[in-house]
Formats: sequence, C-alpha cells, structure tokens
Amino acid sequence: MRDLFQYVPGNSLIHRLNPVTKIFLTVVICVAAFITDRIPYLLFLLCVDLGIGFAAGVPRKALGILKGLLRIAVFLFVLQALVVRRGTPVFWIFTDTGLVTASKVVLRLIVVCMPLAMVLAVTRISDLANALVQVLHLPYKYAFTLTTAIRFIPQFLEEMGGIMEAQTARGVEFDTKNAFRKLGLMLPLCAPLLISSVRRSEATAVAAEVRGFRLRTRASGYKQYPFAPADLAVLLFSVLLIAGAVLI
Amino acid sequence: MIRIESFSFTYEGEKAPALEDITLRVEEGGFAGIIGPAGAGKTTLARAVSGIIPHHYPGDYYGRILVGGLDPVDTSLTDLSRIVGMVFQDVESQIVSSVVEDELLYGLENFGVPHEEIPERLETALRQAGIENLRERSIASLSGGQRQKVAIASIIALRPRVLILDEPTGELDPVSSRQIFAMLKTLNEAYGITVIVIEQKIMLLSEFARQLIVLSRGKIAYQGPAREVLSHADELLQLGVNCPRVARLSMLLSERLGKPLPVCVNLDESEAQVRGCLHD
Repeated sequence: MRDLFQYVPGNSLIHRLNPVTKIFLTVVICVAAFITDRIPYLLFLLCVDLGIGFAAGVPRKALGILKGLLRIAVFLFVLQALVVRRGTPVFWIFTDTGLVTASKVVLRLIVVCMPLAMVLAVTRISDLANALVQVLHLPYKYAFTLTTAIRFIPQFLEEMGGIMEAQTARGVEFDTKNAFRKLGLMLPLCAPLLISSVRRSEATAVAAEVRGFRLRTRASGYKQYPFAPADLAVLLFSVLLIAGAVLI
Repeated sequence: MIRIESFSFTYEGEKAPALEDITLRVEEGGFAGIIGPAGAGKTTLARAVSGIIPHHYPGDYYGRILVGGLDPVDTSLTDLSRIVGMVFQDVESQIVSSVVEDELLYGLENFGVPHEEIPERLETALRQAGIENLRERSIASLSGGQRQKVAIASIIALRPRVLILDEPTGELDPVSSRQIFAMLKTLNEAYGITVIVIEQKIMLLSEFARQLIVLSRGKIAYQGPAREVLSHADELLQLGVNCPRVARLSMLLSERLGKPLPVCVNLDESEAQVRGCLHD
C-alpha cells in the first residue's frame, strides 16, 4: 500500500507516451466501463488494464493493485448482492439478478481504479504536472496542488506507520487481529497526523515559493511534450474501446 | 552582503522574543557558521535572512536586515530568493518531484533560466553535490543523506549569491557530513557564494567556517573569527556548545606552558602545535 502511488522508473512504450495520452486513456477506460452493460466486455477491459501493466514492465505492480482492489471488491460484492432483491433466488438469500449486478459493480470498480493507480506508476509526477500545464493549459497552481497531494500520500502513510510502530513497541496493541479494536486505536492518531501534515504543507509552500513558484508560467517547463505516432495509436485504440462499449 | 542591525523578532502568539537585539555582518564571500543549543533562535535567524520571516511568519519585527542591499520586509520572497538560496532543515518538505533530475529542474524552470543553459547548470550542480550517479533515480528510493544532497544541489543549481543551510548534516554520517562541508567550501571559494550554515557539529564549523556566531536564548553570545570564539571554551560549554578537542588541547597547552598559543581548528594544525611544543 505504501508504494502504491510510487513511480517505477522504466523506458517502456507506455512510459514514453505523452502524459496527457495516458490520462486520456485512463478516462476512456472509465467511460467505456460505465457505458457497457455486459460482463464479458468488462472482463475484456480488465484484460486491457492488465495488458497495459505488463506492457509497461510493471506486472507486479498491476497485480498488486488488483490484489488490493479485490479485498474491497469482495466486501462490495456481498453488500451489493444482499441489497438487490429482484430476480429468482439461487442460493440462500442471493438472487440471480443480485449476483449479476454485484459482479458488474465490482468489475467496474476494478476496471476504473486500476489504470488510475497505474498511470502514477509509469509517469513522473512532474511530467504529469508539466504536460497538463503545457498541453491542456491547466493553471500551474492546480497542477501543483494535484501533484503535491499525490506525493503526500506515501509520506502520510509512512508517518502513520511510524507512529503505530512506536506505539506497538510501547505496548499498544496495534498488532491485534481484531479490526474494530485496531480502528479504535487508530482514531486518536488522526489529530497529531493532521497537525503534522498541515505543518508540512506549510513548509512545502514556503520551500516552493523560495524556488520561484510564483514565477512559473506555461512556458517555464524545460521538457516539451509533443505527440508521437504512438500517442496517435493509443488515441485510435481509445476510439475502438468506446465504440466497442457502445456496440457490443 | 548581509547586515543585521538591532534585530528582534517575536512570533505571533509568543511572549518571549525568539531573537533579541541581533547585530551582525557577513561580508560578501564570507563563510559563517551559526551554532547554539536547541531553541536558541538559529532557525529564526535563517528565516529572517531568507525573508521567510516576515512573509510567512507574522510577529513583532524590530530592527533592520539588509541582504545584498535589499530589505526583506519590502522585497517579495520571490525577488529575495533570486539572491538567497535556502536549504531547509526538513528536507522532506522541500522536495517537490519524484525524480532527482526533475527536482533540480524545478527551480531552474521557475526562474526562467534560458533553456539552452539548463543542461550545463544541471550537470554542474549534480557534480558539485557529488550525485551525478543519482540523476535518474526516484527520490523515494534514496537514503536520508542522498536526499539532503539532492536538496542542496537543487538550490546551488540556481547559483544564489547567498546560501543558507539549516543543519544540512543533521541526518548524515561523518563522512558525508565532511563531503557536504567540502562542497560548501568549494562553492564559497571557487564561486564566491556567501555561505551561512547552521550546524551542531562544532568540529566541522571550526574547521570550515571563518566566522562563528554563537546564539543562546535568542541573543548573540559570541561572534567573530572562529579561533577567537573558540578560545572561550569554558563559557561555550556552559551555554551548551561543545568546543572541538583540538581547540581545548591548544588552550590546555597554553595554560600548562604558561605562554599564549593560537587556538587550533583542525587536526593538522594541532599536530604541528604539539610537535612544536615538544620540540621546545
């Protein structure tokens, strides 16, 4: 979980794509997942997700994300299957419609979340911010907010882990198997964590300002992000994905 | 280069001043070390010189500071940062990118360094910090010391006239600490950058800094050339500042032999002095 959003250096085709193309592909996969109403097509999209992960040379990351999502998915599946009461019962109180709906919801969740996490694994945050500013004309302030938020997540988790380890060493039962008890122990940590992250964000603001944050314009970026033939190919692929979702 | 006259500062909401009646000068091309126990106001002084006080920390501000002729009160932080580069104590909060190269690019891009000049600046800064081999590395994968070097490199790439470092060797081992100071010395001597460094390792300061400023409870306890300040070993110890052993040895020798001897600041000097005394 801690390195979920961390960049994995590499030089694959996916790594070299324009960051905007990657974001676009992610959005397209999301849209396709919501347009389609067929389980086979959702499974196909899942294969696309995994395919991207393998093509980018980060299969372990892709499978790791999938594994993480599966845990949430199981919970969501049971909940959804219990809530939907239409259709004929097939097993205990579960109905066929319920199971089908639950499968779709869960598949959508996985299909949508996977590429989002993977974009961050194969794109440098600064490239992402610069490309958004240069190509999509997003104001730098917002790009900076976005990238800082992403960068803070692992730091935040690290800090949380640190506090928990320190307290476990002093006898607090953070290693308990009881999830509710663990949650109860974690709640009091929220205030100190919040304070330290506010303090850290202030420090980051100052540090950015003394390095000319306010002077930055769209033309500041040193690296350029032109669109290459590979980007065009991805664009074409995206159109096919959407068309497939509508037609199949 | 830096002139501080009767400067006092109290953070908003605090009763006691963090700094009181500070008067000091650092000449252009100088190398000043600031030392003092925790809570002495070292970081506050660094913030005041770099303009972060009063722009980011409100409070009662008395006296006057001039940095390269500019008054931080009337100058925007951005303009001031063209002259003063600051490396923060919390390196983590200073880092804005995920890859070393991007971290160095950030400031260069912002300050509008011409794009054709950027590759050379990047390489020079990496070389000066001794981290050419880390250029493509992800920052998350670096050790504390390496991150510190990246933070320093990202500031020296901007070629400021004044470089302020707040405990740059706090997380480093003795060998890396010495490397950082050797690097600061080169920057100071070869590029004429004025260096101000807050540091707890007195041995390094006494060896590299030409001017020492000892702070205690928000006031300047001692300031002057390193040797002169170090001759107050007993008083410094009472303030909570250790004196390097070579300096103490000089003083012990001069006491025992009953003749004044210069205070040594490094091992070579000390060796020569002891040999000289034995010879006599």
